[in-house]
Amino acid sequence: MKKHISIISIFFFLLGFAACQKGEINSLNTPVVAGITADPSKSDLFNLVTGAESGMRFNMAVYLDGLGVIGREIYRFSGAEPRYTTDLLGAGTKVLDNNTFYLTNPWNSRYQVMRQCFILLDAVKNTRSAVATDAQKKAFTGFAKTIIGYQLLLNINMTDSNGARIPQPNGSPIGPIITDPGAVMDAALKFLDDGKADLTGAEVIFPLSGFGNYSNAAGLLKFNRAIAARIYTYRKNWTAALTALNESFLNLNGPLNDGVYHTFSTNGGDIANTLFLPPNGNGEVRVAHPAFVTDALPNDDRLSTKTALRNSSASQSGLTGNRDVIIWSSLNAPVSIIRNEELILIYAEAKIQTGSFPDAIVALNRIRVSHNLTPYAGAVTFNALINELLYNRRYSLFMEGHRWIDMRRYGRLSQLPIDRPGDDVWARYPLPQNESNQ
Amino acid sequence: MLLPKSGLLVLLCLCSTLALFAQQNITGKTRDAVSGRPIPGVTVRVPNTNKGTISDASGNYTLVVPAGTTSLLVSYTGYKSQTIPIKADQSVVNISMEEDFARLEEIVVTGLATNVKRANLANAVATISGKELTGVAPAQTFDAALSGKIPGALITANSGAPGGGISVKMRGITSVFGNSQPLYVVDGVFFSSASIPAGLNDVTAAATAGNPNNQDNPSSRIADLNPEDIENIEILKGASASALYGAKAAAGVVIITTKKGKSGKTKISINQETGFVKERHLLGVRTFTPETAADLAGTADNPDPAVQAKRAALKAQFNDAKSAGKIYDYEREMYGQTGLLLNTNVSVSGGGDKTTFYLSGNRRQEQGIIKGTGYFNNSLRLNVDHKINDRISLGVTTNYIGSSSDRGLTNNDNNGVTFGVALSSTPDFIDLHPNALGEYPRNPFAASNPLETRDRIINNELTNRFVGGANIEIKFQQSAHSTTKFVGRGGLDYFNFKTAALFPRDLQFEENGLLGQSIQGNTNSSNTNWGGFFVNTFIPNENISLTSSAGATLETGFMDNIVTSASNLVSGQSNLDASGNTTTRQFRQKYRDNGFFVQEELTLIDAFTISGGVRFDRSTNNGDYKKYYVFPKGAVSWNLTKMKFWKVDAIDNLKVRAAYGQSGNVPPYGSKFTAMLGSNIGGLPGVLVDNLQGNAQIKPERQAEFETGLDISVLKGRISLEATYYDKTITDVLLRHNLPGSTGFATEWKNSGDLKNQGIELGLTVIPVNTPNFKWTSNLNWWRNRSKVTRLIIPPFAIGAFGNSLGTFYLEQGKPATQIKGNVGGQLKLLGDAEPKFQASFFNELTIFKNFSLRFLIHWKKGGDNINLTELLTDLGSTTVDYDDVINGMKAGLYRQNAGDASIYVQDASYVRIREIGLYYSIPLKNTEKIKSIRVGISANNFFTWTRYKGYDPEVSNFGSNTITTSQSRGSNGLSTGVDVTPYPASKRASFHVGIDF
Repeated sequence: MKKHISIISIFFFLLGFAACQKGEINSLNTPVVAGITADPSKSDLFNLVTGAESGMRFNMAVYLDGLGVIGREIYRFSGAEPRYTTDLLGAGTKVLDNNTFYLTNPWNSRYQVMRQCFILLDAVKNTRSAVATDAQKKAFTGFAKTIIGYQLLLNINMTDSNGARIPQPNGSPIGPIITDPGAVMDAALKFLDDGKADLTGAEVIFPLSGFGNYSNAAGLLKFNRAIAARIYTYRKNWTAALTALNESFLNLNGPLNDGVYHTFSTNGGDIANTLFLPPNGNGEVRVAHPAFVTDALPNDDRLSTKTALRNSSASQSGLTGNRDVIIWSSLNAPVSIIRNEELILIYAEAKIQTGSFPDAIVALNRIRVSHNLTPYAGAVTFNALINELLYNRRYSLFMEGHRWIDMRRYGRLSQLPIDRPGDDVWARYPLPQNESNQ
Repeated sequence: MLLPKSGLLVLLCLCSTLALFAQQNITGKTRDAVSGRPIPGVTVRVPNTNKGTISDASGNYTLVVPAGTTSLLVSYTGYKSQTIPIKADQSVVNISMEEDFARLEEIVVTGLATNVKRANLANAVATISGKELTGVAPAQTFDAALSGKIPGALITANSGAPGGGISVKMRGITSVFGNSQPLYVVDGVFFSSASIPAGLNDVTAAATAGNPNNQDNPSSRIADLNPEDIENIEILKGASASALYGAKAAAGVVIITTKKGKSGKTKISINQETGFVKERHLLGVRTFTPETAADLAGTADNPDPAVQAKRAALKAQFNDAKSAGKIYDYEREMYGQTGLLLNTNVSVSGGGDKTTFYLSGNRRQEQGIIKGTGYFNNSLRLNVDHKINDRISLGVTTNYIGSSSDRGLTNNDNNGVTFGVALSSTPDFIDLHPNALGEYPRNPFAASNPLETRDRIINNELTNRFVGGANIEIKFQQSAHSTTKFVGRGGLDYFNFKTAALFPRDLQFEENGLLGQSIQGNTNSSNTNWGGFFVNTFIPNENISLTSSAGATLETGFMDNIVTSASNLVSGQSNLDASGNTTTRQFRQKYRDNGFFVQEELTLIDAFTISGGVRFDRSTNNGDYKKYYVFPKGAVSWNLTKMKFWKVDAIDNLKVRAAYGQSGNVPPYGSKFTAMLGSNIGGLPGVLVDNLQGNAQIKPERQAEFETGLDISVLKGRISLEATYYDKTITDVLLRHNLPGSTGFATEWKNSGDLKNQGIELGLTVIPVNTPNFKWTSNLNWWRNRSKVTRLIIPPFAIGAFGNSLGTFYLEQGKPATQIKGNVGGQLKLLGDAEPKFQASFFNELTIFKNFSLRFLIHWKKGGDNINLTELLTDLGSTTVDYDDVINGMKAGLYRQNAGDASIYVQDASYVRIREIGLYYSIPLKNTEKIKSIRVGISANNFFTWTRYKGYDPEVSNFGSNTITTSQSRGSNGLSTGVDVTPYPASKRASFHVGIDF
């Protein structure tokens, strides 16, 4: 019996040994939110900023493709995804789905970045002054609020009068659906204004990737005002738009591509620019809408710099296009957030709207001449100038998410071409099911 | 296995014949009572002693018994045990064995260390013998062999890719986002059935758009188990039977017992299977005409000159191809390969009085129906049982598995690179075949040339796995009325899983994109389980038996998954470092669960069985890792035929039974954290809040199951019926439910409501003919389940597949958990239900002239809808076989995609299938010393199917079934099976078998 007891005791020893591993098993793979906001180090804060900048790129390809297809800038052909040519073009009796990728993916990603910014705000609140001075903290909070405002704008761009919610700080209940897009944009402006206040006199210590010359406090402030100018334009608040432009990086004679970008790379942990599709590819194809080709003025170089003739035209579901979109030249190519060319056009628009036609024509000619066109020689009337403005916005800001919204805000959606009998031009995306089902 | 011994212990205690010192020899023959055939392997023993023997291959036995022995105990699996009286001086005792048709004497595991005779069982426990599992028409993998054999289960193959991948759901929906697959326990070792993705999403981008769940189609690790090694399977379908397995058992427990050696002559058995694999069904392709070819560019009345030019070009291309005779059926070229199947099994078993062993080696080699795909499994098993002395016995099981599967590139994708997606838009009039230099033309109709992709990529999974367990049983004390024993058990399941997905840089979809990809994953997983149990059997008199047990268990697990994805490869190279860019992802998970239990079982006059028990469990995956959750159980059965008042001789068994039990399902690892995922930009390291919100309060979902039933057998077991009704509720269902996107989170973990499943299982076994020359056994099962979401504390939400416009599973209070809704005319409507209306299986075995045996299994699934997006994609690509039919004045293919009607693609997936059919012949042997038996046979597996479903096969799942969730990818859930997106087509198989025993 002694032998048995020793065997048993060995067994229990083993059992006890295994059971000795007590205690909680924590997250083995990633930091957790509660951990990072408690008492953040400088690099924790940097990581949060970088995460926010990185997250802003998520699902931008779907966002731009969606707006581009509905706004008849492009066709997006995919061997695996019918909805670019059915739902988004309103084929047959198809309508937009309130619970699928082209809406929910970008929608969720934008709010995800806003949540990240609130986490950054919480983290900054808990940051010891030995880690960052007050001026340095202001730069973090100013950046966070600026990004929240911008991300909110992109979502209300999609759903318009179907509404959106104003994002709330961590731990607060969600707000109501606000179906007045103006009110949502005003909320976005409020975030931008708060961001502006924080950035004024702040000191930036964190690194950014796609902000180029606008990575310091003054630069971020200019970026903040550039976004504000865009929103004021949408709000038809022309004087405020002009004021914001003054504080932005608008430079009538500066390079058109100067601005702030999403950067991409195929490096480890980074994401590649999936808007890049090899020219003359098959299966996954992004071609300019035929009207973009036929409506281009002779010699307008924007046709040839932004699209290229295919060796063989591409077709799907009774749609054909023969010019590939070549704005993004590789998987590492950047995608613009806002750039000087748009600011010049906002300037022109605000000047037209406020009756300062000569100022507007100066700005429009700056664009026209840069694109191999002769200076504007059309009628100097409000309507003619707005037409000219919209032409230039269409070609200058091709596939940057503007055409559809421009046509909507000028009540011109009915002018967009219908390619197949039964197709529709949608005015807005539905509110996502995950918002309406609450 | 040591468990059946406790049954013997009881017998030993019951009998108290004194042994005298004198001895006598007894010889005899054991035969089947009906056929008169000798039965080898029958145990003949003297009651209350260790003296016993086993009959040899001719059924003969010799036993030395002490003088004064008055009876012999005779037992053999599948036959009724008998006590045979012997007279003094009797030297020849021939034994006639009666088959136990109703399997009343079968010993069924009911606890972690206790068991009970089926005649007294309170649950409907399904058992599958090794013969039923592999003896008709062997399936490719162990899990596939369960199809149609478990009443109450819905078993679905995820795809036809070599290496398996099966979803097993017992009694409806037990979990949505927790583990929905049963726990597999092999000889006491918890056997992992995880599916680990290979990172193919980097190529296919399948999870980047419509559905974030992983769609890599990985194989399940349960497929590693060699079916030839299995002696017996018991299936505990719900909590009423599985409660003692605690917090892992909610989805059911599959208890697998492998073969063990028997003392006596060494037995060598060699089995060879040779066969072929063919596709079950092809969809067919559209036949183009010059006009329909031109229509690919746009309609004839399109004013755009570019369209008209393209129309003319396509028409010319078609005519050129037609006149050159170059019209191809690419579907058949891709999926029409006949695969060769070779399976060799050698086993050696035997042993002496103290030690027995079973050694087996198995080599299975199988080609798929797509060139370059296949499955290769080598398995080696050694099971040793040893009696240290009368009180202590030890059992060790070891199993090494090396398996390799080449799975091709199938299922959904968003880059047009998988075989099916590329085929869906490739018409018949282009030539994709390589030229004399081996260069593949570019496919102008898709992002990839499927022939090139098939011939030049590698998608391999390589597993090296060791599974070992040890079992020790110690008898502390033994008296006339009481026995106390200790059972200790330990198990280890370790595997290394290596995935390699290689895409050369000059493929059509790589040459201008990522320039070649090499994605290599390495996973190490080790799981251990430990248990110690005390069992006391107390028999105060012959009418009462009390079994008390108590025990403690501990399980630990650690998995480390590292996937490196390299792109921009050095030409011709596959090494990760021969590349321009690499990204590495790592995911680790670790858990520790422990629990303890007590159980009491009472048997009264062998007619009443009453048992009760309670288990306490905790897990580090729970929000509160220190808290023990309590899972009680109780069961009662009453066998009326054992009562004194029972006088109906025609009914030899009538039992009413009821059981209740609870079990849990621990939350998945990591569900209590809100992660900050790595997200870099421009070389800066960043962390971004995950869109999945964790929940620090997360707790296990709890299942409470009540089942009741009636078992009756008449005419000496020739007809027996087992009828069961169950009601299973799952409370605190773990959901990864949708949040309003405006919270910043797409989903959140939450215990969000209650589910209910109710069902009926009927099993009828009939032996219509039982004569020496012809025997017919027939088994008919019928079962159904209905599920309902009874409470949802969150708003209803869609949980997949690809959005409302294509049909989605939709959780909603008061509705079936498996309902499918979708947009019809802009409105969200009910379109179908994945739950079958009922299932039935019909198994027959006919034995003719003793040596011929014909067995077949027919499986009928009635109802249950799939979401057929393969048809959607072929419509989109204008290649559906019926594209040119007319619906509502439009071409069918065009009508379907533009109808705005998701119900078109929600299709009835009913089928009737001859799962298995086999004809075997035992060659009569005379005057042979060495060879004991030779068997030959032919079999067909899944060969005949009748269905109206329009996909490759009604059994399909784009999302797999146990795909693990990592930080960066979401695994499969318990609902979204039946989503059909260009899968690896299902296959059927036919084989020739030879078996020789020495």
